[in-house]
Amino acid sequence: MSENKAQDFQQLALQLAGNQTSAPWLDALRFQGSEQWLEANWPNRRTELWKYTPLQALQRGGFSTWASAQKHTLDDNATLKLEAIRLVFVNGQFDAEASSGADAAVVRFSQASEQQQAIIAENLGKTVDTKRHLFASLSNAWAQDGVLVHVPKNTKLDLPVYVVHVSTPEAEAAIANTRVLVVVEEGAQAELIEHFISDNQMQNGFVNSLTEISVAANARFDHYRINLEEEHIIHVGGVHIQLQRDSQYHGFTLAEGSKLKRIDYQVTHLGQGAHANLNGVYLPRNEQLLDYHTNMEHVAAHCTTSEVFRGIIADNAKAVFNGRIHIHQDAQKTLAELSNKNLLTSDTAEIDTKPELEIYADDVKCAHGATVSQLDQTSMFYLQSRGLTKTQARTMLSFGFINELLQDLPQAAVREHLHEHLTKLFAKEYFVS
Amino acid sequence: MTEQVESLIRKDYAAGFHTSIESDTLKPGLDEEVVRFISAKKEEPQWMLDWRLKAFRAWQEMEEPEWAHVHYPDINFQALSYYSAPKSMADKPKSLDEVDPELLEMYEKLGIPLHEQEALAGVAVDAVIDSVSVVTTYRAKLEEAGVIFCPISEAIARFPDLVQRYLGSVVPQRDNFYAALNSAVFSDGSFVYIPKGVRCPMELSTYFRINEMNTGQFERTLIVAEEGSYVSYLEGCTAPMRDENQLHAAVVELVALDDAQIKYSTVQNWYPGDKEGKGGIYNFVTKRGICHRNARISWTQVETGSAVTWKYPSCILKGDNSVGEFYSVALTNNFQQADTGTKMIHIGKNTSSTIIAKGISAGQSNSAYRGLVRINAGASGARNFTQCDSLLIGDRCGAHTFPYIESKNSSAVIEHEATTSKVSDDQMFLCQQRGLDAEKAVSMIVNGFCREVFKELPMEFAVEAGKLLEVSLEGSVG
Repeated sequence: MSENKAQDFQQLALQLAGNQTSAPWLDALRFQGSEQWLEANWPNRRTELWKYTPLQALQRGGFSTWASAQKHTLDDNATLKLEAIRLVFVNGQFDAEASSGADAAVVRFSQASEQQQAIIAENLGKTVDTKRHLFASLSNAWAQDGVLVHVPKNTKLDLPVYVVHVSTPEAEAAIANTRVLVVVEEGAQAELIEHFISDNQMQNGFVNSLTEISVAANARFDHYRINLEEEHIIHVGGVHIQLQRDSQYHGFTLAEGSKLKRIDYQVTHLGQGAHANLNGVYLPRNEQLLDYHTNMEHVAAHCTTSEVFRGIIADNAKAVFNGRIHIHQDAQKTLAELSNKNLLTSDTAEIDTKPELEIYADDVKCAHGATVSQLDQTSMFYLQSRGLTKTQARTMLSFGFINELLQDLPQAAVREHLHEHLTKLFAKEYFVS
Repeated sequence: MTEQVESLIRKDYAAGFHTSIESDTLKPGLDEEVVRFISAKKEEPQWMLDWRLKAFRAWQEMEEPEWAHVHYPDINFQALSYYSAPKSMADKPKSLDEVDPELLEMYEKLGIPLHEQEALAGVAVDAVIDSVSVVTTYRAKLEEAGVIFCPISEAIARFPDLVQRYLGSVVPQRDNFYAALNSAVFSDGSFVYIPKGVRCPMELSTYFRINEMNTGQFERTLIVAEEGSYVSYLEGCTAPMRDENQLHAAVVELVALDDAQIKYSTVQNWYPGDKEGKGGIYNFVTKRGICHRNARISWTQVETGSAVTWKYPSCILKGDNSVGEFYSVALTNNFQQADTGTKMIHIGKNTSSTIIAKGISAGQSNSAYRGLVRINAGASGARNFTQCDSLLIGDRCGAHTFPYIESKNSSAVIEHEATTSKVSDDQMFLCQQRGLDAEKAVSMIVNGFCREVFKELPMEFAVEAGKLLEVSLEGSVG
């Protein structure tokens, strides 16, 4: 029966693609995406990449229509206080009023000049590995509007690009498809902040978001991706990054859980001397499910990767983490490290973590570590002996556990926003008993 | 319609009729008749036959696992022969002169005494009297202690209650594809029973069962340690074994009742195939132990042989305070592939497990560690420590780590760490600068790398294992 449901969803998703109107120069990609989506085997428990993450919530969601353009009701505090090129999308549709700032380097697909259209056509869908990321093919099939960040050679974007995706409650279960394409040319530099939020009412949406980043030689790209939506939303996201010679990618991601949230990061080191730095925090609670899959493909030699993910899993929530490092045969002198630490705060919480190393070159140094643990009793005792209540002590220690990653964020606006948000969240939702 | 059905039945019967019980080898192929034949040949009781048939029916519905990180041509299970009687004296080589000189050279390097060499190479030696006497002394000593150590076929006849109670209790018939196959057609193996409170007076080794050496390709081992008992069991041998069967699918079950301790050591050095990767044994093994309250199971393995290894000695830590341990060295060279590791399933409270896995890949080989640590919701205070290190020798080999960690208990503490690197240039330089040649230096460094595991092996075994690594790595440097 579940197979039928899966097929229903696969078919339905395609019909939706068919109903869309989009620019003719996207047709080839859309067709290819549709084909791949239809051919793809629907994941089940035996599918390694979806072993711990059931998709029933999506299949049973009854998603059959596109989300509509609406006004969101969020106050200013919900988004970052930041001077930036700000693009706001509500339910996947552009909200011109809420957006501000402009730069020639940032344009929506629908507004792209012919030259920019050529850049989009050349790059869109090219960095994506649809074999490992099933929903990327769906995103290709649904490609319509999106944001292009194109940084020309040897230039630096003065302001960060700030893309806000807001979800609002809909009468019917509805779908939003979001797309960002970043092309950083040789020696250029830019910063992107992606922020997913929602009104604080029950959502019945499905968001499929895909971000593609191509960083050319000697370029540097800073990237933040923050998922703080309400917990009933279904989010399937992917970030695909290609790094050329001596380029750098610095990424940070933080997510709260939801009914079903799955985020894939795929970094490919194509040129020698490329460096990727990816840190992440996941905080599922209640009945939420949160799944991070990261994959570092070291194709070229002399590249480095540093990856740290931390998670606090509370209540009945379940977190899944999979960190793969794949060193190809010619990627000699690679240095790759992955650390994943987890804190379980309740006996009904679950963590399934799997750091993977797949190495085909000999002159490399690779290491990964994973731990699952609870709060240190000695630390708890120390804090309580100083007069803190148990709850205060727990909150403080839990915050400290992830703060290591937060406190070093170069972007102050993100750091401060998250600090404030998490302080409130911890006080309200964690250890309240 | 009835006629058709009847003719079918008759046809079946006729086929069964042709495979005479007296024949010594079976035609290739596997069906229920073959299972019945094997069971009849071994004069097994009805319950054993039923057990085998149940496994066979399960196997028919199962699919070969494909998730392991190994590649090999499809196995045609209908092209294999599932029963062959031990070779008669006449078929065996008459003396060591008739044995493959390369094999002899290897024995020489490992320092194996001549009469052992003959036994290992399968020479029809007349030293039976000698070995029988050894075996008899051991048997007498064991019997005095009340320990049962005999072929499992003998145990089925002599101790049916024990076998019936424990066989399949840890690895059920339909556990996995190869375990089901083994359950249906297992040839022979060992049965060990240690009575309550007895500490087995000696290390039990398959080596001392010379007369039962030819256990065939589907070996089945069952070890039961009653309350408070202790046993250390050695399996295999550092010397390469002569073997005609390409597919090996063994099952080992350990039952450690309250306060009991089982130590199971393996050295596996089956034919790995030639330098081009042709031939070699496929070793698909299911090994699992169950620990009751305060019990302890420790697996130690040194895997250097076989073309393809697929092996995950596991512990189910069912009882409170039980302990599981896994120490492994897996070395692959040339075109060998190994996918090995362990599963630690924590069910009881305060259970703890330690995993130390060392992988060494050389030549064009691939070795993978695949492990699962699962903490069930009730396993409060569970503790796991895992360390997987891989060493790469040569730029065409691969080393992989696939650890699965699943925790459902907030008081559990799990640590996993893995590193992969090559033999460090600094270490090599130091050794060579002191006058060691490159090959000797590598073997020394590798031995040091594996020390944590070797120290878990019984003394003589550890020395041999060290030498074995040296021999297996030959030609991989320079």
